Amino acid sequence: MMILSITNLTKNYGRIQALKNVSFDVPKGSVFGILGPNGSGKTTLLGTIMDILKPTSGTYKLFGEESNGYHRRQIGTLLETPNFYHYLSAVQNLEIAAAIKGHGLRDIPRVLDMVNLTQRKDSKFNTYSLGMKQRLAIASCLLGDPEVLVFDEPTNGLDPVGIAEIRELIKKLHHEGKTIIMASHLLDEVEKVCTDVAILKKGHLVVTGNVNEILANEDIVEIGASDMITLHRIVVDMADHTSIKEIGNILQLNYPIGKADMAIINQHCFNKGITLNHLLMRKKSLEAKFFELTNN
Amino acid sequence: MIELLKIEWLKIRNYKAFWIFTVLYFFSILGINYTGYYINHLTTESLPGSSMLLGNPYGFPKVWQTVGWMSSWLLYFPGILFIMMLTNEFNFKTHRQNIIDGWSRTEFITVKFVFALLFSVVATFFNVLVALLFGFLTSGNMYTMDGMENIAYIFIQTVAYISFAMFLAVVFRRSGIAIAIFFLFGLIFEWLICAFLNFSMHLSPVGYFLPLQVTDVMLPIPFGNKMIYLNSPAVYILVISSLLYIGGYYFFALRKFKKEDL
Repeated sequence: MMILSITNLTKNYGRIQALKNVSFDVPKGSVFGILGPNGSGKTTLLGTIMDILKPTSGTYKLFGEESNGYHRRQIGTLLETPNFYHYLSAVQNLEIAAAIKGHGLRDIPRVLDMVNLTQRKDSKFNTYSLGMKQRLAIASCLLGDPEVLVFDEPTNGLDPVGIAEIRELIKKLHHEGKTIIMASHLLDEVEKVCTDVAILKKGHLVVTGNVNEILANEDIVEIGASDMITLHRIVVDMADHTSIKEIGNILQLNYPIGKADMAIINQHCFNKGITLNHLLMRKKSLEAKFFELTNN
Repeated sequence: MIELLKIEWLKIRNYKAFWIFTVLYFFSILGINYTGYYINHLTTESLPGSSMLLGNPYGFPKVWQTVGWMSSWLLYFPGILFIMMLTNEFNFKTHRQNIIDGWSRTEFITVKFVFALLFSVVATFFNVLVALLFGFLTSGNMYTMDGMENIAYIFIQTVAYISFAMFLAVVFRRSGIAIAIFFLFGLIFEWLICAFLNFSMHLSPVGYFLPLQVTDVMLPIPFGNKMIYLNSPAVYILVISSLLYIGGYYFFALRKFKKEDL
């Protein structure tokens, strides 16, 4: 079953098109990353499916149905910033969230414990640091142990330990079979936890699908020699590579995944009278792929 | 709706400003009426003939109208309070979070207006207590049911002021702007527009149908009102108009909140 289906979603702010005909599906049980640079439409997209923003055109479905408050109650959502009553404590704020979601108060100690806020549970929200506010927002999402979680930049404002904790939390939730939809520009985070991605650029959907298929579809081999001109000329004849790029004193050869053979490359160059002084295999990073896809 | 009101209660239960404003407001109702009562007492003592002109504003049956009219000057208090309660939500973005967590937009606006109705019931009840107090303190008049229709007018006027304030809060979203417009319109511009329509343009009684003015004419100053509100329409027309305004504030606030990005 699809947890979320988006069809031709378009959102205009005046003359600015924040989303242009975006369509994709989020399968049940996935950790679905929505990636894109600042201003690419990630938050607009999530805001629209949470009924905070009205789409200009297009539709979306939650759990395969026209969405309403009932569906939103089944989803723990952190959108953009932690939104709480400043004059209330953590517990009092969670009481309101739990009441709106139709849960009892029993779950509050558990979620506060999960984000390490139990000690400060009676402090007012406006005395919290940015990281604590963020953790309270995550606690609020976890109320009632929902099957679906939506996190918009969940590691915002967190220290490295906090970031690692959230990463572990997301992995744990994924293992429990929950569906997680996560918007982020922190690619490292996405690479570590996501199973599927959709990449947005200026409101366009660039690509969507399984993270391994989209992001790890190339091997990269770097080679270097004293005579770069000859080197460039002789590697062109080699089989299998998809492209060659010259980066400073190094040539970068791109191969389909599993096709690069370091020994063959070395042998080929040696046979042609070139001795390599640099030979390195690297996986394409998500960052590089992201820059490529978004043309930055 | 009970569930929604319980949640609204969770929001204000620990909101100090709400309790400070409410207590101040209720004390002020008592205070402003005591001031009126005392001044009236002094006036009739030093000028015994004045009661011929003024009647006995704090005796039954006039006391209902007097208390209602005096208290109506204080309606800016709950108005500001409800503006703050709404703009707090916009400032904290909790209006978004309430929707994200599962409320519908209609529920968010409706519970605020229903809460305003309940608040108005309590405020009206307090006005009744104050009226009874001064009514019984004033000698020479027997308790009578006459004039008690003014209790209904007090209630309608309280709801009208608060819902007008909430409407401004939903439209402008910022407490500063909403409060400034609420004050300037209610205390200055509405009077100017009313005078302009009724006297300069000779459109009387059109000016009496302005949003807050219509409730002021419904519950007028207890003496001399025939001179102040010349050609004022029948009370039932003013009541219906006030109710239409209240319905309109709710309807248009809801429509704006439902149609827009939050």
